[in-house]
Amino acid sequence: MNGQLIPTPDTIPVAWGWFQFLLLLTFPIHLLFMNAMMGSAGIAAFQHFKGGEANRKLAHFLAVFLPLLIAFTVNFGVAPLLFAQVLYGQFIYTSSILMGVFWILIIPILILAYFGAYLYDFRFEKLGKTGGWIISIVFVLFIIIAYFFTNNMLMMTLPDTFSAYFRHMNGTLLVSGHATFLPRYFHMIVGAIAVGGLYTALIGRLKAKSDPKLAAYAEAVGMKVFNSFTLISIVFGIWFLISQPKPVMMLFMSKNVLATAIFIPALILVPLMLVFSFRKKVIATTVVLTVLVFLMTFMRAFVRAGYLAKYFNLGRLKMVPEYSPMILFFVSLAGGLVVLVWMIRKAWQALQA
Amino acid sequence: MNYPVWYLPSIGGGFLIALIAVTHVFVSHFAVGGGLYLVFSEKKGLRENNPGILAFTKRHAKFFLLLTMVYGSITGVGIWFIVALVNPGGISLLIHNFVFGWATEWVFFLLEIAAAFVYFYTFGKMDDKTHVTIGWIYFISAWISLFLITGIVDVMLTPGAWAVHRNFWAGFFNPSFVPSVFFRTFIATMLAGAYGYLTASFTEDTAVKESMTRFSGKWTLVSLILAIPSGLWYVAVLPAHAHRLVAGQSPTIATALHWGFWAVAGLMAITLIAGIAKPSWNLKPVAMAAFVCAFLIVGSFEWTREASRRPFVINKVMYSNQILKRDVPALREKGFLNSARWVQIRKLTAENRMAAGKELFINQCYACHTIGGFNNSIIARAKSMSYTALAAYIEKIHKMRYFMPPFAGTPDEAKALAAFVAGKLNGKEIKEQRPAPDGTGSGKSLYEENCSGCHELSDLKEKTAGWEQIKIRAALDKLNKLAEGMPPYEGTPAEKDRLSVFLYSLNHGSPAEISVPDGKTVYETHCSPCHEVSGLAEKTADWDRAKIRAALDKLNELEDAMPPMKGTVQEKEALASYLNSLKGGRK
Repeated sequence: MNGQLIPTPDTIPVAWGWFQFLLLLTFPIHLLFMNAMMGSAGIAAFQHFKGGEANRKLAHFLAVFLPLLIAFTVNFGVAPLLFAQVLYGQFIYTSSILMGVFWILIIPILILAYFGAYLYDFRFEKLGKTGGWIISIVFVLFIIIAYFFTNNMLMMTLPDTFSAYFRHMNGTLLVSGHATFLPRYFHMIVGAIAVGGLYTALIGRLKAKSDPKLAAYAEAVGMKVFNSFTLISIVFGIWFLISQPKPVMMLFMSKNVLATAIFIPALILVPLMLVFSFRKKVIATTVVLTVLVFLMTFMRAFVRAGYLAKYFNLGRLKMVPEYSPMILFFVSLAGGLVVLVWMIRKAWQALQA
Repeated sequence: MNYPVWYLPSIGGGFLIALIAVTHVFVSHFAVGGGLYLVFSEKKGLRENNPGILAFTKRHAKFFLLLTMVYGSITGVGIWFIVALVNPGGISLLIHNFVFGWATEWVFFLLEIAAAFVYFYTFGKMDDKTHVTIGWIYFISAWISLFLITGIVDVMLTPGAWAVHRNFWAGFFNPSFVPSVFFRTFIATMLAGAYGYLTASFTEDTAVKESMTRFSGKWTLVSLILAIPSGLWYVAVLPAHAHRLVAGQSPTIATALHWGFWAVAGLMAITLIAGIAKPSWNLKPVAMAAFVCAFLIVGSFEWTREASRRPFVINKVMYSNQILKRDVPALREKGFLNSARWVQIRKLTAENRMAAGKELFINQCYACHTIGGFNNSIIARAKSMSYTALAAYIEKIHKMRYFMPPFAGTPDEAKALAAFVAGKLNGKEIKEQRPAPDGTGSGKSLYEENCSGCHELSDLKEKTAGWEQIKIRAALDKLNKLAEGMPPYEGTPAEKDRLSVFLYSLNHGSPAEISVPDGKTVYETHCSPCHEVSGLAEKTADWDRAKIRAALDKLNELEDAMPPMKGTVQEKEALASYLNSLKGGRK
């Protein structure tokens, strides 16, 4: 590979650290929503086919929230993708084009899944068993989208693969055969189902007063899913780690102080989280999991930088300073969050009443 | 040239953008106006204490949720995806320059979806005042999204001072920003009204149906009336080139505006007659027709806006093929192939010429031209052009047709591109021709080199049917006056003579059969008895051909003793060309 294929990046308006901060702030939120969305769709499909009153009730309960999760997954995906494009546009745009056909397919697939989720929710009773198939299709569509995302996010870190463009100019290149692809993909999918389980337990608490039986059942099912899938996810996580090229893996083993300083607490938090989850401490598990997702995202940033180190580091981006638009953004964000919290409170009060 | 090209030769990237963009723009504007419509509709229901209208509003809100949240928001992301695939250079520039504009828009997108959910799921469960406030939050968030995106999108059309110093605020508050915000706002409310009208036509309860039909009719009509002056204001601030394109120079814009005009007229008539005056006439087909008119208005506007930007993707900064305007002179000098990133051939040779031509096509033409696709196929566009004609045309393409970007490469690269298009795609012979010395190029080759880029032979045949050769010849002297936007023909008088004969022959047999008076013979017949050649050359040394030609019509006015010339118009033309050619020989 010659570095000649890597496009020249455009200039950035503020120091790259701001974008990295915003990327690492918003991406874990996207992941949490995405995990809840994908996991709860899978659990709803499983419960639906399992049959019986309690399972169907739980499936329907999860279905009501699914469109909301899709909307917020997409919304919280927009921000990190925006900031990632600012930092790594020359890689992301290129890898997206190289797999253009699959990348754009995400849009119709997502629309289909979204309508499917609404159909399943609004027509739950009428659909009967067909509903089980619909929610299963929705779940499969999510998995397909994840497959494309994993491909792109991996390919953007592999400029060595870019020259294959000249054999795939129609945008059909994938990197599923790369040594790290499968453990990465499975780690994300299995992890998402696990988090979907925790979400099920958590959201079930909304019914603690009106339907305590459903709340208890949601917790039982959810934590069972969380525990089992977290254990599988750990196996994939270890596979993912050891599949990394040695220079990247060594970043977490003292070669890079900050990367190591993130990796060690993450290692400690995993067993702690399992202790909480096996004891059905839903809130404590959620808190530790959230911290872990943030830490894993930070580690992911080190992996990305490690892969690209041969060609690029963020310090090489040229800056033409213009800070005032960033102030507009932070003021809007602060104001927006106040309004958001107010709306959620009002909605909560109205629905409780 | 900085990014790879996603190459789908028979489909084309522009088609994919249009596919997603057209419907997204429709739904997203509807999402803005619809928010306001919901608030007013709910307030009307509350004020009149009418459960029918409130039920109507809730039903409307449910559809709203499905259409705008699912289709609208995902296709919004879809536009971002597809534009990044098709024009990564352009989107990268806009993302990097306006990142905090986009990020702020994301905040309002978040508020918009949260408000839409709260509004729908708490309908009838929340106190009225708070519920209406949530509706307002939805509308204001959606409108601010429109406000922010308009600022960034309009930079592409009217970059103003941003094109020079890239200042965020100068770009955001660009010359067309304010009229565009007004125009889009009224288009948004018009769409909401048209949809309300459609929903009303499906309503069973006659009283509710009539009430909401009249309400929606007024809503649509007022929006349309307000949209017209803001649309004209928008057009008025366009840069000169874009203004000329909108004012009739671009045939596709003229077609779009034609459709837009009738759609506006149709929607006005329907809302006025079958909405406000006679709401009972709001039958389903009528409402569908109104909705189609609204869709055509949006389509007409978007087409005009996009097309008036050509040949740029960001006006005056970046051409549609992602080549920066400022880079073109260097690329013409140093060559495209050794400057671009995503090409395989760096050095052009006789052996790799076709392959290099293909790479040039992909990087410079494919942004707008497909190969054999239904959309602007280069095969069809260049079918009447020979290799040499095409090579010559490519070199001056932007000059001939403003809306095409200039070719950014060396003359040899232009020939390689011509060889690929004419030879590989259209099966024409690739034969180098020496430049024809003055007076030897055939009329046909002159046509191919100068006219075939824009005119098919059949078109010219039709156009000049019934014209005498002399009329054609005269037209060649004033092409830019025949049609706005047509460049003047810069050939010599002798070339114009031959071209006129060739064009005349299209309707009157072969050129060989058409006798053209020879200027020298005409001189010998009519002038030589009194005038030496050198004398006439001296006399007309400072005259241009037009002056010589004019003089031949009034010889007796030049000198009393001189008789008027009795030759035919063709003979006078030939003589004028001959006399004009004498100039320069006297030294």
